[in-house]
Amino acid sequence: MPLGSVLFAFIAGAIILIVTGSNPIEAYGGLLCGGFGVACTQGENPALQISNTVVFTIPLISAGVAVALPFRAGLFNIGVEGQFLAGAMACTAIGIKFGSLPSPILLPMVLVGGMVAGSLWAAVAGVLKATTGAHEVVTTIMMNYIAQWLLRYLIIGGPLQLAAGTSRSLPIGAGAQLATILPASNSLIILGLPSSVYRVHTGIFLALAAAAAFAFLLWRTSLGYEVRAVGQSQRAARYAGVSVRRTIIVTMLIAGAFSGLTGAVQIAGVDHNLTDKYFSDTTGFDAIAVALLGLGSAVGIVLASLLFGALHSGGAVMQADAGISSNLVLVVQALILFSIAANFIGAIREKLPFGRPPAGALPPEIPPAAGLMTEAAASAPPEPA
Amino acid sequence: MTAVGDVLHLLVTANLWQATLTAAVLLLLPALGGVISERSGVVNIAMEGMMLAGAFFGVVADLAWHNPWLATGVAMLAGGLMALIHAVVSIRFRADQIVSGIAINIFAAGLTVFLVNRIYGLQDVGHLGQNELLPSYNVPLLDHIPFIGQVVFEQNVVVYAALIILVLVHVVLFRTRLGLRVRAVGEHPQAADTAGINVYAIRYGAVVTSGLLSGLSGAFLAIGISNTFVPNMTDGRGYIALAAMIFGKWTPLGAFVACIIFGLGEAIYANNSIIHISQYLLSMLPYIITLVVLAGLVGRSSPPAADGLPYVPGSE
Repeated sequence: MPLGSVLFAFIAGAIILIVTGSNPIEAYGGLLCGGFGVACTQGENPALQISNTVVFTIPLISAGVAVALPFRAGLFNIGVEGQFLAGAMACTAIGIKFGSLPSPILLPMVLVGGMVAGSLWAAVAGVLKATTGAHEVVTTIMMNYIAQWLLRYLIIGGPLQLAAGTSRSLPIGAGAQLATILPASNSLIILGLPSSVYRVHTGIFLALAAAAAFAFLLWRTSLGYEVRAVGQSQRAARYAGVSVRRTIIVTMLIAGAFSGLTGAVQIAGVDHNLTDKYFSDTTGFDAIAVALLGLGSAVGIVLASLLFGALHSGGAVMQADAGISSNLVLVVQALILFSIAANFIGAIREKLPFGRPPAGALPPEIPPAAGLMTEAAASAPPEPA
Repeated sequence: MTAVGDVLHLLVTANLWQATLTAAVLLLLPALGGVISERSGVVNIAMEGMMLAGAFFGVVADLAWHNPWLATGVAMLAGGLMALIHAVVSIRFRADQIVSGIAINIFAAGLTVFLVNRIYGLQDVGHLGQNELLPSYNVPLLDHIPFIGQVVFEQNVVVYAALIILVLVHVVLFRTRLGLRVRAVGEHPQAADTAGINVYAIRYGAVVTSGLLSGLSGAFLAIGISNTFVPNMTDGRGYIALAAMIFGKWTPLGAFVACIIFGLGEAIYANNSIIHISQYLLSMLPYIITLVVLAGLVGRSSPPAADGLPYVPGSE
């Protein structure tokens, strides 16, 4: 079913390519080369392409978790982007302000700082949802834009700006940086290239730990049980003695911490400063596709992240080799979202006489209560005080 | 103290209020679209993408045919088609309407830049000539009224159209049988269906209308105010329109008031030379104000009862 959605998106994407006069084989060849280092025509180094894919994959895993966890509680966190930026901004601010501290002190500071900032950003949505019933989709959209403008302020004319006329921040101190897996050396040659070009960093372990923590939290703790109970039915959860308000707020705080960690890791591991690149960052929206495609499971999220990481990495090669805008990747991503949400594949299979799926074969990847304003019908607080 | 004095002085200039109305109309059209769509029970966070598609295809058509009126039609059509995708996916396929809305926004952002690259290569899209733009028009006699004349009657044609549409939407929604049906479908589709109302037809119509209005706003932005297309040129206006809709409690006139407030903010920082606050910090205001409204500090704001729920005939 997820594979079918991806297939549908690529076929629809190929039709768009053909209609606009591009060659889909060239385009997808470029994506394949850039994403997985296979079928390269312009002499790209396969190891470097795979390394780039992994670098793009890392933030998607922890951001995907930040969408998937609230989903289980029936909450739609489309504020990962804002929470991610809050984490990145906090990490950068701390990494600059305390830039001279040694790594064992500073690195935990910037990572925890990022998580706290992300939590605070998400808390606004959680608290408003739990107290006034304000829909979290709307509040997180508002928080996304507040983060966007705060970022612009900070690095254009604000306190973190590198120098007048630039739109980037000062770099964070060396102690705030996550090490790369391979030594950043120009003389050490690995698979034909100096080892410094392979930018896979130790943040990968944090991302995988986030995925594992998500699975553990959801299935092995009482909080996880409460999250799932609230997602299935707020009324039933209340009868079972679960505090719906508390669960909503705590879920958003944890999701915000995952998003904030993602932003902090991206600064500490990849960029080392805030740049105008972050104005058009889409990590938080990619994360929604990752969580849906991964069917909300930890393994699924890692696999879906790998797919989108490969698409991002492949987009650059496709643009260079085939002359097709890397924005095609966004189009494909949107098509995947349509396909999952609308269950086109299920509809197609129902039409086929022999392809009818067995009853219950299509998992509801969104818990019933995520079907938007169900019980917490936005106007009424979810729980009598 | 001088800053406060400067703002007060600015507030009594007709120029400022003229710019406010222009900025407000850009938000008003998609906000009205949102009101119509959500009143019929379909959540719409895709105004941003519909506007962007309208802006892009409007510019493409204008560059090709040198006719702003035709181009505006194309822009509305483009917005309407985007809305139709949202409608089919969320009404026919009963998809989650928020996922569909996000997908529309990503789709529009990706497709427009992809097509810019396809059609115009790596260069600029190109600029439109003066007579290829949607014109401004001074209403005779009325434009001589002091203050009000400049603010209301020396505006772009789209502004007049938007004000007429505002009144129309209000009247249709609250004073006609059609409006009653739209609201019934948004509040209780089962009851509406029992009463013989075609729930699907009303919802399709409402969603597509929201696309037409958002497309018109995109045209106003690209071939009325700017004279070209720039990637992501809507810059969150579709989302501010969403905020205005909520701020206005899902009513056309309420949304208009919100748009004026947000438009005033935009107009003030356009005159930033006398106000020494970062325009970026000021840009946060519409979103912060909306959060304050949602926090219930300015009276509760709640959506139609069946907003966001797909309609399944025969369901409870």
